[in-house]
Amino acid sequence: MFSQIIEMIFSASFGYSIIRITSPILFAALAAVVAEKGGVVNIGLEGIMTISALFGVLFAYWSNSWIIGVIGATAIGVLIAMIMAVFALKLKTDIILAGIAVNLLGGGGTVFLLFLFTGLKGNTASLTTPNMLTPKVNIPFLKEIPVVGRIFSGHSVLTYVAFLLVILVWVLLYKTAMGLRIRAVGENSHAADSVGVSVMKTQYIALAISGALAGLGGAYMSMYYSQSWNIGIVAGRGFIALAAQAMGQGQPVGAMLASLLFGFASALGNKMEGMQGFSSYLVASIPYAVTIIGLVIYSMSTIKKVKRFKDNEK
Amino acid sequence: MSDNDFVVQMKGITKVYPNGIAANQGVDFNVMRGEIHALMGENGAGKSTLMKMLFGLEQPTEGEIIINGEKVSLSSPTVAIAKGIGMVHQHFMLVPSLTVAENMVLGMEPKQGNKLFINYKKAVEITEEFSKRYNLYVDPHAKVRDIPVGMKQKVEILKALVRGAKILILDEPTAVLTTQETEELFKELIHLKEQGYTLIFISHKLNEIKQITDRLTIMRGGKSMGVYETAGISKEDISRLMVGRDVVLTVEKEQAHPTDVVLSVRNMEYTNEWNKKMLDKLSFDVRKGEILGIAGVEGNGQRELVDMLFNLNVPDGGSAKVNGKNILGRPQREIRDMGVSLIPEDRMTFGIAGGGTIEENLMSDRASDKRYNNGVLFNLNAMHNDSDQLIKDYKVLCKSRKQLVGMLSGGNIQKVVVAREFSSEPVLIIADQPTRGIDVGATEFIRKKLVELSREGAAVLLVSADLNEVMELSDSLMIMYNGKIAAYFEDTAVLNDTIMGEYMLGLKQQSVEEIGGVVHGE
Amino acid sequence: MENKRQSMFEIFRGFIAIAIAILVAFILILICADDPGKALECLLIKPIISNGALNTKSIFTILARMTPVIFTGLAVCVMFSANQFNLGGEGSVMLGGFVAAIIAINIPMATGAHVFVAVLAGTMIGGLVMIVPAVIKVKLKASEMVCSLMMNYVIMFAILHFLNNKFADRSKGATQTYPFLKTAVISKMIPGTELSWGFLIAIIATVIVAIFMYRTRWGYSIRMIGINESFSKYSGMKVGGMIVLSQVIGGMLSGMGGAIEMLGRYNTFLWLDLPGYGWTGITVAILAKNNPIMIPLAALFISYLNRGCELMSIYAGVPAEMIDIIQAVIFLFFAAEHFLSGTRQKIVVKDAKEELQKKELASEGGNA
Repeated sequence: MFSQIIEMIFSASFGYSIIRITSPILFAALAAVVAEKGGVVNIGLEGIMTISALFGVLFAYWSNSWIIGVIGATAIGVLIAMIMAVFALKLKTDIILAGIAVNLLGGGGTVFLLFLFTGLKGNTASLTTPNMLTPKVNIPFLKEIPVVGRIFSGHSVLTYVAFLLVILVWVLLYKTAMGLRIRAVGENSHAADSVGVSVMKTQYIALAISGALAGLGGAYMSMYYSQSWNIGIVAGRGFIALAAQAMGQGQPVGAMLASLLFGFASALGNKMEGMQGFSSYLVASIPYAVTIIGLVIYSMSTIKKVKRFKDNEK
Repeated sequence: MSDNDFVVQMKGITKVYPNGIAANQGVDFNVMRGEIHALMGENGAGKSTLMKMLFGLEQPTEGEIIINGEKVSLSSPTVAIAKGIGMVHQHFMLVPSLTVAENMVLGMEPKQGNKLFINYKKAVEITEEFSKRYNLYVDPHAKVRDIPVGMKQKVEILKALVRGAKILILDEPTAVLTTQETEELFKELIHLKEQGYTLIFISHKLNEIKQITDRLTIMRGGKSMGVYETAGISKEDISRLMVGRDVVLTVEKEQAHPTDVVLSVRNMEYTNEWNKKMLDKLSFDVRKGEILGIAGVEGNGQRELVDMLFNLNVPDGGSAKVNGKNILGRPQREIRDMGVSLIPEDRMTFGIAGGGTIEENLMSDRASDKRYNNGVLFNLNAMHNDSDQLIKDYKVLCKSRKQLVGMLSGGNIQKVVVAREFSSEPVLIIADQPTRGIDVGATEFIRKKLVELSREGAAVLLVSADLNEVMELSDSLMIMYNGKIAAYFEDTAVLNDTIMGEYMLGLKQQSVEEIGGVVHGE
Repeated sequence: MENKRQSMFEIFRGFIAIAIAILVAFILILICADDPGKALECLLIKPIISNGALNTKSIFTILARMTPVIFTGLAVCVMFSANQFNLGGEGSVMLGGFVAAIIAINIPMATGAHVFVAVLAGTMIGGLVMIVPAVIKVKLKASEMVCSLMMNYVIMFAILHFLNNKFADRSKGATQTYPFLKTAVISKMIPGTELSWGFLIAIIATVIVAIFMYRTRWGYSIRMIGINESFSKYSGMKVGGMIVLSQVIGGMLSGMGGAIEMLGRYNTFLWLDLPGYGWTGITVAILAKNNPIMIPLAALFISYLNRGCELMSIYAGVPAEMIDIIQAVIFLFFAAEHFLSGTRQKIVVKDAKEELQKKELASEGGNA
């Protein structure tokens, strides 16, 4: 059985599914990175993704165009993040509580909204048409290469967007004025304030970007991964993203690596489900358990680092 | 004198904070073009609040601000900066992980041709250009967290200048500087004045004020005590106006008769996370019945020392014992059970829980005592009685024991801290800046109590940056400089400001034998 | 609040927040109900009065549904009081319910003892699992929030695994366990209604938690740590231990809530998803401003709305999930410190001025 697993891990289809599963977590992890860098904990990612996933489908259905769907999902992500921002930044609701409220909206609230707009209850499977799903992209030349082509080609267009966004978010944070301001606000808001950088405005922007990224993650879920929307569609990915952010030390590339780790755990779980002797439920819990273990290892290593530093000083 | 001569006019400024504290009451403040104007006052006199309003960080509850003859509403620092006002804060407003150049241009970043990306090269050029023009040397590429304090301050001044400030507010700029750095700063400030800049200089150091300012405004208790020509007012008069009484506070105290060693510190060493040696083989004793004062400019290791003695930090080497028992690295519960009390320097962080009631704050170190517990439940009667008694004994001005501590004034907050720390029958009291920023009445009260307790047999270690306080209260005194003991005086009667100053600023250093006098045990 | 005028204002602020939430509900109803009048009647009146008479059955249902929410609300109270954003209530509730159910089905015992042992086991296991995020937080400074959230999912999948592979009654169409033994069922307080004796235990728990938080040294320490951790450490409190204790107590209350809900309401284990009481508990704790004694009142309010939404979905075709939107809105406004802050600032300034005048008068008269 062990050899069976090893064989599976080194198969091209396994690599393909890691990337497929990582994509939505990556969107959300980048969302967490931008918010965190700006000094805001966006625990509402889960809710934003769920709501965006729903509206992605709805917009796509109404327009019969997946592009409009994706744009709509992103816009809704921004909108929800802005509502959070108004409460957290202007009315001083604790940001964590604001996030929990958004998650409540994402829970039952979406069911209500779905009914409000379509009269459907619980899921949108009946609405789905091929036009509403984001297309798969076969990359010329790359797809011809054996193994590599099968791993990296043929993903949803949004997957490529996700990995491209790792670079874009990095550029945004480290090469643009806005990024400089976001980092300054997150690290020392008084310093930013004292030179006329509006802390509130910068955090609004950070949250808006965060919302847009989470919105894309939601779109990926309903318009590609699950092919339709249902209530539990995000299944904790927004929370996993928070962990990925922490493990990735708040860096875009670090967050990507952490997301890939969860993607790997999830893919492993999915493949093992089909095998004899594995409980599908226990396997389903792997990514969540890995997140806890990852968090523990990461925290232990940072504590050790501080200690080692002090020891060296002696 | 016409209004045109004033660049800044603040009229009838009143500021009430959301917690109800009135920091400024009807203050008038005027500054002339091209002068260095001192704003003086003790901690808590309302200087910082007034300047925060001038820089747009706070808005006045009442009153008006006129800049260059034009009435303005300074709703944010952005507005203030646009009006040509710059501020160098006491706690540097810098982002540690960014470079000097990045900090310089934050909020006014030069862009590449495409308007999208930061032109980092340009940022470095700007930094170098201003650095040269004003003769303030900085390294544009260094990360702020890696540069020395003096350079950080230069970055702060340059930051204000690069934003077009013509009026520069400096909030206690010398507090963190060495003597040499201070001299350097003064040269730079006079250079700026010659170029037509107006400087507002917040300080309570008389010599500095005398040295470089033209006029001064004195504040006390949130009110202005008037404006004076620096040349026309004596230090004694300034001191009288600031402190509010003609005689220096003197505390009556009997001769001390110190007996056994209570606290004994040996060879304590500590290097902080920025690789600066904060404690350098420190050894001293505090005896029963005496007050040992530690004087020194802040930042010379006093805070680190106190942190070690209460296990808020761990030293790299050395020992500290109370009545022969080790206290380093022990839980605070155990240290307190040995009879150690601490009046912490940062009272809002360590001294109180602002959202708790006075009673809850008075009971924090003793809530587990048998006296206050009947089995699993609190004995509320005992708690209420003792709280009321402490409130009465320590003259805490409040409505009742149920009032939230955070709503009290600074002096009354400190009285709550002191009431708790003094009432636990301590054998050793560590008092770290016990009267900083509180009113005269509370100050006098706390000082008297401290002397009283030491005469009743407590050992007292008094750490204070207030020269007056540390000289008046201490039976014997040591001065810390650069993490070491610079001087020890068995008897404080022989001391005066000049002698103290020379040791505090590192101009003089006693011999090893002289300092050795502070070690009484083996 | 120390000041009468200010505390009156706080209450007023709470009412405005609730009013806004109800207003949002009205608007949503107007948009989506065929007969808005009837829907509103269902939401607001029908839970207690139907056909012109008191709807006693419905009232008892409202009280019954309060039970688990009181427990999770108390749990959140204790955990948040220590300033720990532990969101693991969900997992503890489900696990407590599951463990109690397993004991109720598989281990025969005497009548009184059976319920006691089953609930106790659910309570203990609920507390036990909370040690993980608490210790990780205290020892490693890792976010208790992320950890507790992940644990909810791990616990859920573990339960589903055991339910499906070990305890499922395959004769039924749905996934559920065998029925509880009669000895393990918590009997009804009022026969023929949903209201079990569990409700009484919830009220007793409220009193105990209130006493614990305000009348014992441990509760006191937890609250002080929540207000200012540095201060508590300096005062000599065992900060790490107390944080762990607060989380364990929170877990125990959640576990107990799950166990009591399970044995008092159902006769077989059929939760296939996280039950949601943990999240409602947060809303309830926010409404009660973290004051244990106010928890039942807040739970009543939420339970009432819940019942109203349920009736609305039955009789007026408006989905019951509207409750989540109402909750989210209340949540946001209730926790918004600066909501109506302009008015509050005016009150504070006025008070401060009066205070100042009083002080000046006093100091003129002698010693200040």
